[in-house]
Amino acid sequence: MKPFFSLCILCLLLAAAMPTYGDIARRSPSPEKPRIVLHTSLTIVPDSKAYEGRLQISQGSLQELRAALANTPTNESMAQRIAHSSTRTMLAGLFMFLSLSFAGVWLARSVQARGQKAVAALLIGTAIVGAAAIIARANAGPPGSYLWRKLPQNLSKGAPTYGGIDIEIVPDANEGPGIKLIIPMRPER
Amino acid sequence: MERTANIDLAAWRSSPAALATSRQLSTRVFAGILIACACLSALLASWLPLQVSVVTVFLFAGPHNWFELRYFLMRMPVRFGRSRNFFVIAFAGIGFLTLAYVSLPLLNAFSLWPDNVWPTILASWNTLLLLWLGLLVGLRGRQKPKRDWSWAIPSSLGLCSLNWLAPEFFSLAIVYLHPLVALWFLDRHLRRRRPAWLRAYRVCLGLLPLLLIGMFWQLTRTPALADDNGLFWRITQHAGAQLLPNISSHALVAVHVFLEMLHYGVWLIALPLIAPLAKPATGRLSPAARKRARVWDVSSVPLARHPRGFPTLVTIALAFGVFLVAILWFGFSVDYVTTRDVYFTVAIAHVLAEAPFLLKMI
Repeated sequence: MKPFFSLCILCLLLAAAMPTYGDIARRSPSPEKPRIVLHTSLTIVPDSKAYEGRLQISQGSLQELRAALANTPTNESMAQRIAHSSTRTMLAGLFMFLSLSFAGVWLARSVQARGQKAVAALLIGTAIVGAAAIIARANAGPPGSYLWRKLPQNLSKGAPTYGGIDIEIVPDANEGPGIKLIIPMRPER
Repeated sequence: MERTANIDLAAWRSSPAALATSRQLSTRVFAGILIACACLSALLASWLPLQVSVVTVFLFAGPHNWFELRYFLMRMPVRFGRSRNFFVIAFAGIGFLTLAYVSLPLLNAFSLWPDNVWPTILASWNTLLLLWLGLLVGLRGRQKPKRDWSWAIPSSLGLCSLNWLAPEFFSLAIVYLHPLVALWFLDRHLRRRRPAWLRAYRVCLGLLPLLLIGMFWQLTRTPALADDNGLFWRITQHAGAQLLPNISSHALVAVHVFLEMLHYGVWLIALPLIAPLAKPATGRLSPAARKRARVWDVSSVPLARHPRGFPTLVTIALAFGVFLVAILWFGFSVDYVTTRDVYFTVAIAHVLAEAPFLLKMI
């Protein structure tokens, strides 16, 4: 086997000696400054009846924004691609549901009784972890008004405030041009 | 009625005595040749990926398809017997999926749908492919009562789900995985013809990920390839440069070319060479065996040799294959870019055809 291993090592050495210019490091990218693509107006409205923050964009402003973005290169991430196609996401979910269902039946039929308990425990554990992840990451959080409740204090302190927001496109005739930000605020008692 | 299994045995299996005495090429030499070929391919693909891609496709794309056709004819039973449903679904799927795949770019050229619908159409085709594969695996599983192949259904559905999340990436995965199927064919073939080589072969397969990691490690930091002309742009797009912008196109094209070279090597060199190498070490091949060893000899195909076979049909198929290879070379000489596009679209048929024949070998 010695010649064989010698040959292996020789070949690996040859492979490792592939183009030496491969070691030249790329230039580190310089941070890009954010570019202003559109200037418009913003109205902030507190709403005691609102449940979630809303960003209302008028049709006219949206068209201006689209025109401004037309020349901006887009590089969608995987999550954005998925989020932008609800049909594909639904079908992916449907197939995933079918896959897990058939896999469950297959496991139940093929694994012995003792193994079935382990598999069941594994599936339940996975479901719990999945549900926890969904609650943590998706829209199962507290109501929007709760997250926005400290906005006045944070504004006076100069601190940022984090909260969810729904984006709406409203006709120009209703609200006029520009963008309106509706913040759910409960009056303090 | 002759069954598939009988044809398989007659065509490919050597007797244990013949295998025991056939030691013309030692296992070490075989493994050494494999490793040397893999390393040489990796070196060439890393050094000049675009140029090597152009040359290898020009020289080997057509001939490797002809060898695949001949291989599939060798594996074809004279009568389908119990495998009738399997082969009917296999051939129907190959025909339908190929027609659909070829028609998609043609329909897209007429702008029948907006660009944003393209991923959905691609995902639909991929779904049909996966369901077809799942069905074939299920049918094949029925012929193997000792094995439970029910996992094929949830697996294919799970892959369908992933496909709908990112159809372009799924198609790109097919581009990279298809060359590896040839290695699986070689594995099954060695198991029947040269079991003594199988262990060494699998050890060599273990080195393949190391080579790929080495290539990526060396090439991901290199600048992107200059795809400033139509041909080079097509090659980089084929390797997924647009879908994976954060990986150097040099690495992507090099890896793809390397895998393609392995694929061509298996179909053009490894598989055809194994039969002559299995001749007895004591002496010469019998006249009949020598005759069968010739790849162009129609009578070496069981489907043509069998008393109830189809020699004329096999002859026409192989001759037409040679004609198509000549046409392909002519096309490459006249207009390489267009011919390459047409070839890689039509070549989906051979990608699909590999699935049922591989399943029959498992």
